[in-house]
Order: sequence, then structure tokens, then C-alpha cells
Amino acid sequence: MNTLLPKNKLRLSSFVIWSILAFFIVIYGLPLLWLFIAGTRSESSLISDPPLALGTFAVMKETFVNLAGYNNFQMLTWAMNSVIYTVGSVTLTLVSCIPAGYALAMSEFKGRKLILIMTLVAMITPSQAIILPIFLEMSLLGLTNTYMGLILASSFFPFGVYLSYIYYTTSLPKSVVESARIDGCGHFQCFVHMALPLAKPLLALVAFFSFVNNWNNYFLAFVLISDDDKQNLPVGLTTLINSSGALNPQAAANNLPIGQPEAIQAAILVVLPIILVFLVSQKYVRSGLNAGAEKG
Amino acid sequence: MAQVTLSNIKKSYGAVALFDGVDLEIDAGEFVVFVGPSGSGKSTLLRMIAGLESVTDGVIEIEGRDVTYDEPSDRGIAMVFQNYALYPHMDVYGNIAFNLRLAKMPKSEVHERVMEAARILHLDELLDRSPAQLSGGQRQRVAIGRAIVRKPKVFLFDEPLSNLDAALRTQMRLEIETLHREIGATMIYVTHDQTEAMTLADRIVALDYGQVQQIGTPDDLYNAPTNKFVAGFIGSPKINFLAATVLSTDGDTIEAKVDGLEDTRITLTATGLHEGDKIDLGIRPEELHIADAGAPQDTVLRLSGTVEIADRLGNITYAYVNAGLDKNLTVQTFQKRKIQTDTQVNLTVPANRIDVFNTQGNRCSPAKP
Repeated sequence: MNTLLPKNKLRLSSFVIWSILAFFIVIYGLPLLWLFIAGTRSESSLISDPPLALGTFAVMKETFVNLAGYNNFQMLTWAMNSVIYTVGSVTLTLVSCIPAGYALAMSEFKGRKLILIMTLVAMITPSQAIILPIFLEMSLLGLTNTYMGLILASSFFPFGVYLSYIYYTTSLPKSVVESARIDGCGHFQCFVHMALPLAKPLLALVAFFSFVNNWNNYFLAFVLISDDDKQNLPVGLTTLINSSGALNPQAAANNLPIGQPEAIQAAILVVLPIILVFLVSQKYVRSGLNAGAEKG
Repeated sequence: MAQVTLSNIKKSYGAVALFDGVDLEIDAGEFVVFVGPSGSGKSTLLRMIAGLESVTDGVIEIEGRDVTYDEPSDRGIAMVFQNYALYPHMDVYGNIAFNLRLAKMPKSEVHERVMEAARILHLDELLDRSPAQLSGGQRQRVAIGRAIVRKPKVFLFDEPLSNLDAALRTQMRLEIETLHREIGATMIYVTHDQTEAMTLADRIVALDYGQVQQIGTPDDLYNAPTNKFVAGFIGSPKINFLAATVLSTDGDTIEAKVDGLEDTRITLTATGLHEGDKIDLGIRPEELHIADAGAPQDTVLRLSGTVEIADRLGNITYAYVNAGLDKNLTVQTFQKRKIQTDTQVNLTVPANRIDVFNTQGNRCSPAKP
């Protein structure tokens, strides 16, 4: 980069840009880096050694064995639950959001505007605000403390509907759909033959956001699921931390070998899939984010 | 029997009425062009025939069958769009074959028809390309190919050439003309380009603000426009309009004078006018002749002015002459003699080559001989 710029122009502007970038890397990146490093360190090392000191493989392994020993590796059950909830919700979200957004974008029907406004309202309504009615509804259906209940409740994803609506209004030429109609497609066939194959970036985008939402879903799972073995990772992590002396050794009600290093490794288990999924899907996700802008 | 019949077609958007009862009959094998400026409703009318736009009232028949409320795919039509509307995720072959596959036609027949269309449109080499790898002209050919394979009763074209550059546009226009001759199908074509309209059409339907202004052959519209709109819209360069006043009337003849110019008294044939009426004289650029100065004559309108711009196209020269009117006069001339800018010229036009339009804009002079 230095070679591309005239030397005298390098001074202030680049300094400012790099300083701002460095600031944000430190603020947001450092905790994540610390988390991954701290997973290799012992409890005493965490207290006495410098913050970014690397631990040993042996310590890491021992910590992992302790974690695995917690309630017969209950972490694994929670992780499996998280996978079930997330896969179920992402699938249901895609199945409902994409056709809904397509219908809103491509057809004129009574109440269309109202649905769009309601979608926007639902988007900005905090989930805490509607947790009670959702709980009552699930309770009425007998779906509290069930996989189906949580999947159903967390598949409600107005942002995905809106995203699909925006994508289809800006990126799918109306004439392509009209052409398909003349070629003999009904509404459903238009969707299957045109709208779906042309919306891969949209699918990636909605799936990604829905995945992040569901994987990190704490509140809804906490309220709807009471059975320990049906909890997901975020709720499980809290249970693990609270039931041990990880953060508050004095208050520990038992002497489980779960300390800070174990809690840290559990946290890594929660964070890692999101990072991996992002790295794999980022190409599609980015093209989805740009799709509207590319259409001239 | 008419292939396409529109009876009393109405279309309104809320309280705003675009069409208030359009009637039109199109014969089998005819090439009809809807022409008009943006907002004239020509595309809407075409889309109503296609079934992509609902009809507020009236009946659309294709081959005698009422299709007003039929799905687009059930009308026996094929349509070519302005922006091609190719399916981006399918290759050229897939694009052309899509309709046939949807109709569950046997593979061998699909192949046969696609290859036939590809041959007619010179697409043989491009069948496995994706639309993104094609030039504008090639894309439009694929769009036409997609229409041909269906063997439709009626082809609909919605400004199919307006996204192409000038040279390609001419070439594709000729190809569409050839195609029409080869397959002899009924074609309805929408354009705002009057050159396309004049060259392609058997009949032109001139539209403005949802009103059919005139239906007729290109010659009819050019030589006998029913009103000022058609006269002004058809013809390139545009017709000259000169504001004038009726000085006296005598049966079917009137005496008039161009407003603001002396020695422009002229006798014209026109009906329904009265002394003092304001009229417009329509004079095509090729009817204005550069002549030597002469004495005023009531059968010839004489004008004079300064050449402000002379556009020389080689075979033809367009001179823009300031004759003291609010707009320059356009003069078309083949004369070898060079027309110099900033020189004075005398122009003449025989009275029987002038169209007279009344204040409502309707032509009140007889068709030009």
C-alpha cells in the first residue's frame, strides 16, 4: 500500500484511517482473541499470567475432560439440541419467509400494504415484548417444553420476510416472471422455476441471519424450555456457569471441577459454529447484501 | 375473420381512466404497430392483450374466442420484451425450450423445434451459452426464438429494439421483417420510434393519452393525418406547423395569412372554418422548396428567411431556416447546390401540399393529392 501512494500524502489520512481500524480491532477483536487463548490456560494462569499468555495443550485437554465430565457431557446434549432447534427454525424460516416476500413483491392483493406495515412493526418490536403471549399460545397448544414449540416460536422471522420482499422487488426483473407466465407458469411454477433458482444469495442471507438468531437464542429458549436436557447451548452455558463456581467461587454450591477455564471452553463451543458458518457462507451472504445495489 | 378483436376496451387506475372504449380489429397475418409517446398507453394496451394487465371493461377475442379473463399462457400468444426477459439461470437452449418442456412435449420434438428456431435466428453456435455471455442483439434473438418455438397465433413485441444501438436496431428490424414474411404470423408491435412503425407496419395505430388518434397504413398516417398529433408524431424530421388566421371563407376555400408575416396570403381548401379562426398550417420539410424570389401568388405560399443551421447528410441536407416565426422551419432538400448558413433563402410550397388544422387540432383540408 505504501508504494502505491505518494510518500507525502501518506501521513495524516492513512494514519487516521489505520488508527480508527486499530481502535476497533482492539475493542472488538481482543476479547474474542482472549477467549480462544484463555481456553488453553489454567485457573491460576488466568489470574497471574499476562492477559494474552498462551497455555499448554495438556491444560486445555484437562479442562476439556472436566467439561465433558459435567453431567455426562451435558454440553454435547445442549449442542445437539441447539443444532436441532437451529436447523428446524432455519428450515421453517426459509420455507415461510421466501414465498411470503415473493408474494408481497410480485403480486397485488387486498391487504398487501397492511401486511408489509405489520411486517415492519413486527421487525422493530423487541421479542421480550411478545414473550408472554407467545408463551401462552404455546402453552395452549401444549407445546411448551417441546422441540416443536421452540422451533415454531423462533421461526417467526419478519426480518427474513422483509429481506425477501426487498430482494425480489429490486433484483428480480418483473418481465422475467411475466415471461414465465406467458410461457405457461402458474404462480407456484413461477416461484419454483424462476424466483427460487434466482434467489440463491437471498437464501444464503436469510439462512445466515436466521442461523445466528437461533443459535444465539437465549430468551425464548429460557422461557419456553424448562427441562434441562432440552436446553440449547446459550441457556445451557448459563446453567453451567451458575451451577458451578466458574465466575463466583465463593458462591459455588458444590465442588464440581468447573472453573473459569471450563466456562471459557464452553463459550468457545457456542461461538465457534457461528464463525465457521460465516466463513463458509460469507461469499454468498455478501453477494446477497450487494444484490440490490448491482441492479442498475 | 379477425385474428385479434378488441371491443370497447376500458382501463382505469382508480378514478383515472386511461382507455375509454378502444375498438380494434387485427387480421390474421397482419403486422400492426402501436405507436405513441411515453404515457400514451401503447404498452398497456399490448399487455392487456397478453393478459399481463387486467381489463376494466370490454372484450378481447383471439381467433373468435373470448380471452379477456384467460391466463396469459392460455391465449395462444408469445411476447418479446424490451429488456429481453431471458431466464438468467438457463442457457440459450433452456430458455428457448422452457415453454415446450413446461408443456411436457416429448424431448425429441423439443429438440427439433429448438434447433429449427436456432437455425432461423442464427443461434446454432450459442445454444450452450448463458444469457450473460450474449450481446444485446443475440439476447433479443433468443427472446424471439423463445417466442417462435411456441408457434403462437399472435406475436406481441413490446419495444423490442429500444435497448439496442442504432446499427443493431436497423439490422434487427430487418430480421423481424424477414421473420414476419417467413412465418406469416400475426404480429402486434409497440414502439415509440416512428421509423420502426413506418417500416414494419401494415397498419399503424397511433395513440396519445389512451386515445386512438388514427388507424391506418403508414402512408395514410403520413400523407393524411387526421389531426395535429399524428401529423407531428409521424415523420422525421418533424412537420412544420405555422400559426395562421382565416381572413375569409368561400364555400370549401378559405383565404388565410400566416401570423406575423407579411405577403403570405394564400388560398387553401378547407371545410368548417369561419372568418377570424385561428388555424395551423402543417408543411412537411420535403414540401418546402428553395426557390428564387418571385411575386406573391395565392396558390403558392412564399416564405423567406436566414439559414441558421445546415445539416448535410451527403445525399440530403436539412436546413433550419429562421423565417421570423417562433420556431425555425425545417427544410429538406436534395439540391446539389450548397446551402450556406447565414444566407438568405426563399421558400415556396404549393397550397395543395399544405395540411390545415383547426383549433381543435383536427385536419380540415382534404387529403393531399
